[in-house]
Amino acid sequence: MTKNNNYIKRLIFSFLAVALIVIPASAFAAAPDGVKKDMLETGKKVYFKRCVWCHGVEGGGDGPSADRLFTRPRNFIQGTFKIRTTDSGELPMEQNLIDTVKNGLQGSAMPAWGEFLSENEIVSVVQFVKTLIQDRDFGDTDEEVNIQDFGTNPWGTKGPYHLGVPQADIDAGKEVFLKNKCFECHGGEGRGDGNPTMKDDWGFPIVAADWTQCWNFRGSRRDPYNPFNVVRTVSTGLNGTPMPNFKDQVTVEDRWKLAAFVNSLCPRKNIDKLTNKPIPDFLIQSVYTEGQVSPSIDDPSWQSPDTDSRIVAFPEEQAENPKRHYIAMAGQITRGKRNFDPKTDDLWVTSRWSAEDNAVYYLVEYHLRFMSQDPEYPDAVAIQWPAKLQDLFGAEKPYFIMGDSKKPVDIWKANFLPQDYSATNAPKPDGYKLDVKVEELVGFGIESVNAKESESKVQVVDSIFKQGRIKILFKRDLKTEGEFDVQIPTEKFIPISFMQWAGRDKEKDEHMAISTWYYTILKPALPQSLYYMPPIMAVVFVCFQGWLVWMTKRARKMYDEGKIRRDELPK
Amino acid sequence: MNKTLVSFLVFVVGLAVFHNAIFPIFTPKEIGWILNRYVYFLLFVAYLIITHFVLRLKPPIAMMGLFVWSIGFYFYKFVLYPPIPWTLFITYMVMWSIGTFLYISQDPETFREFRKPIVKTIVGEYKFAQIILLTAMPILVGFGTYKTIYPSYQEPVELRTVHPAPPATTKVHGKTYPLESTNNPFRVDEQDNYKDSFPFLDADKHEYMKYVTEGGTIFFQNCHYCHGDQLNGLGMFSHVFNPTPANFIDPGTIAMLQEAFIFWRVSKGGPGLPNESTPWSSAMPPWEEHLNTEEIWKVILFEYWYTGWHPRTFGTEGSEG
Ligand code: HEC
Ligand code: HEC
Ligand code: HEC
Repeated sequence: MTKNNNYIKRLIFSFLAVALIVIPASAFAAAPDGVKKDMLETGKKVYFKRCVWCHGVEGGGDGPSADRLFTRPRNFIQGTFKIRTTDSGELPMEQNLIDTVKNGLQGSAMPAWGEFLSENEIVSVVQFVKTLIQDRDFGDTDEEVNIQDFGTNPWGTKGPYHLGVPQADIDAGKEVFLKNKCFECHGGEGRGDGNPTMKDDWGFPIVAADWTQCWNFRGSRRDPYNPFNVVRTVSTGLNGTPMPNFKDQVTVEDRWKLAAFVNSLCPRKNIDKLTNKPIPDFLIQSVYTEGQVSPSIDDPSWQSPDTDSRIVAFPEEQAENPKRHYIAMAGQITRGKRNFDPKTDDLWVTSRWSAEDNAVYYLVEYHLRFMSQDPEYPDAVAIQWPAKLQDLFGAEKPYFIMGDSKKPVDIWKANFLPQDYSATNAPKPDGYKLDVKVEELVGFGIESVNAKESESKVQVVDSIFKQGRIKILFKRDLKTEGEFDVQIPTEKFIPISFMQWAGRDKEKDEHMAISTWYYTILKPALPQSLYYMPPIMAVVFVCFQGWLVWMTKRARKMYDEGKIRRDELPK
Repeated sequence: MNKTLVSFLVFVVGLAVFHNAIFPIFTPKEIGWILNRYVYFLLFVAYLIITHFVLRLKPPIAMMGLFVWSIGFYFYKFVLYPPIPWTLFITYMVMWSIGTFLYISQDPETFREFRKPIVKTIVGEYKFAQIILLTAMPILVGFGTYKTIYPSYQEPVELRTVHPAPPATTKVHGKTYPLESTNNPFRVDEQDNYKDSFPFLDADKHEYMKYVTEGGTIFFQNCHYCHGDQLNGLGMFSHVFNPTPANFIDPGTIAMLQEAFIFWRVSKGGPGLPNESTPWSSAMPPWEEHLNTEEIWKVILFEYWYTGWHPRTFGTEGSEG
């Protein structure tokens, strides 16, 4: 392929680009962008310093990191790229690759390079990546790229994206979702729990995306709530994965409605600009409950949205409910047998306590696509506390991975197996009951974790696995007898952390997912003075105002009558 | 046109234009001597003074006081960077309000002039203003009381020493290393000679690049989850941990430390820290459990090569690459 030929192609392409603006709403064909040879030297330098560790010396996706990454780094040899604006199966546009390198692929190890490399370095490394492709050729005359038509955002929303989309369109989007059977892979409520047997083009297992964690969408482009991302995915499919395109089944207008629906499932949280994940709620607030706390997860008192109430206000009837706190989880890769492939990204924790009950309740929820049915490796989740809270001084805590020899931890662990379940079942709206077994452990470090000798006091009063979401409601008395039981005071900051084991992955002991130390606090009842002090203060102020008016008027009058003289002004 | 109104417009419209159009220009990614927020602020103040001078505007003293007070508010709330905590903001604003008051009451005439509209409002000569004020204030007071009594909690702030004093010696895999005099055995050449060399490709040609390649391999099998693929502390698990993993690009970590210090930190990890550095919550693994001594030295060599920093040597300051 001569340079000249390429140039003409690019000219034609530019012409077509102009044509696209003039004649909108039609996909058009062009040749892929060729390799800019003069940039290859810089590109190679960048690649071998920055990318080779994952993508490998020949671009085979077999760098040293590869065997411990799930999703594995991309093998470039086949020229298969997920995030494109071109039709299914086609090569991407150069700009697609540049955007990918700039923004990274969220939810995978592929980082965002936009702030780290210069524009020139990014464009150069993209050229170099193109030369690593062996099975296809960006300069091939047979290659054709058809840029898809995505229409425009019908509501004109520019973010925050929860505003301005009518509920009717979201409901219409749900119909499109049902009609096109997205749930077969993505599950009944979009948590990716539809199909456990999928493989990608390289033969590695793959699961469907969890729509309720849209910040992990590969193509989220660091703008996770933007419905355009979903429209693009549905229009182009993700090459190399089972995710198909729906451009013939779903009209462009309906794709936007579908996107609005998919988007509405993703809880609104404050997203950290650096990590592209929600900012953790480091203080878990346990709400004081009048009378008894309901032991049923379905009770209205336990219903609160996942959304941050500062972004979208809770509905009226849930305004007083405790909020769902976001707890970030990672594989335990610090000690012993490490877990590089955690199945859970986060937990959601809600808490209530009651003085009458003398008990505290923690509702722990997390998303899990598929449960284990193996009694030897049940799924499990645990809350970890300092066992001897009273002995800790200042900020001191036990070691966050199951304590240490001097400072033990108290671990409330729930092991559970689903009833009448199979991972390949169709979505079941009322969920699966769980057989739960509670263990109370005391940990002096990972080598020394044992069942407590004292009587078990922790109960799981309700539990369910529903549409890819596990819910476990823990209950315990505030004060207990056991030597290594945490004694839970009110109105005090108490360290708390969480652990989770995925049974299907044969996780057990320290091979698990873990959080760092958080705090929890049992908030007191609202003080009575909240109801009478504000009006009293207001009335006092009214009296003060009356006095002020009276005084000022009196002073006026005295001036006017000449009883007192105003201060003389200097001439 | 009424000069008071003109002055008011000069202020309000000017602030809107400055804040929305000119402020962004003065807050670029890379801050310069001219293009920074404080120069912007001075420009805004200069604009106010000059327009008032040129147009010969003399707004009443009450309005001048309002302008002065608002400028202070604007500065502390929007211009000052990094943003200050709420309590400090209140303190500054109290000081600024006192200053404004002094400005108003500089002589009896201005003070009287300032008082006039207030007195007129109170006695009811400005009926409308009086009604609004007398009803709004008690409501605000009640609301403020509610806000103050309503219990709200924020997680405790915890301070930790990031770089504690290291021990004199450290024992790794049965061998004792004095931190004062231990060097990286794989630093066989001057690092800067290999700035543009390729890991893997040049590993056979240069011994140094062989070690860098091996160190990088270890890094990308073990460390990048936390310290990030770019060594900037933003790995895929980094958001989970508190304290957050160290950012090696930052001049405040490996750039100012000796390699022996790093060797101690990498070998002993979080649990090896003294209490003032919160060993209980550091996710940093004690790598002696997973790596041998040579691997630890190689990954340290790699970190310096990748970031371009030079380790601090005994008796000298750390230097830039
Ligand atoms: C820490 C490992 C890591 C590093 C370093 C890394 N990548 Fe990736 N990269 C990945 C992973 C993992 C994927 C696959 C993600 C997926 O398939 O969901 C990927 C995918 C890609 C893709 C495919 C995008 C698509 O649309 O399918 C491109 C292009 C890419 N990387 C380019 C680069 C470049 C250029 C660099 C260096 C500047 C780089 N990567 C550095 C891990 C890495
Ligand atoms: C045959 C199974 C299958 C069907 C049917 C399916 N998907 Fe997917 N989808 C996947 C898989 C697998 C992934 C994850 C790909 C990956 O991780 O790279 C995915 C990913 C996604 C993503 C995330 C894209 C990103 O940027 O990471 C979205 C959004 C999505 N699908 C929407 C839909 C919608 C809407 C439908 C229905 C119209 C649908 N999918 C139907 C398998 C499917
Ligand atoms: C599980 C997460 C994790 C992994 C994996 C990890 N680190 Fe760390 N590292 C941390 C955290 C968190 C800190 C900051 C807290 C501290 O100082 O202990 C840290 C601190 C450090 C420091 C101290 C920097 C300073 O300024 O004092 C060095 C050096 C370091 N890590 C090197 C490494 C190396 C080398 C590896 C791989 C062999 C590695 N880390 C793997 C979490 C991790």
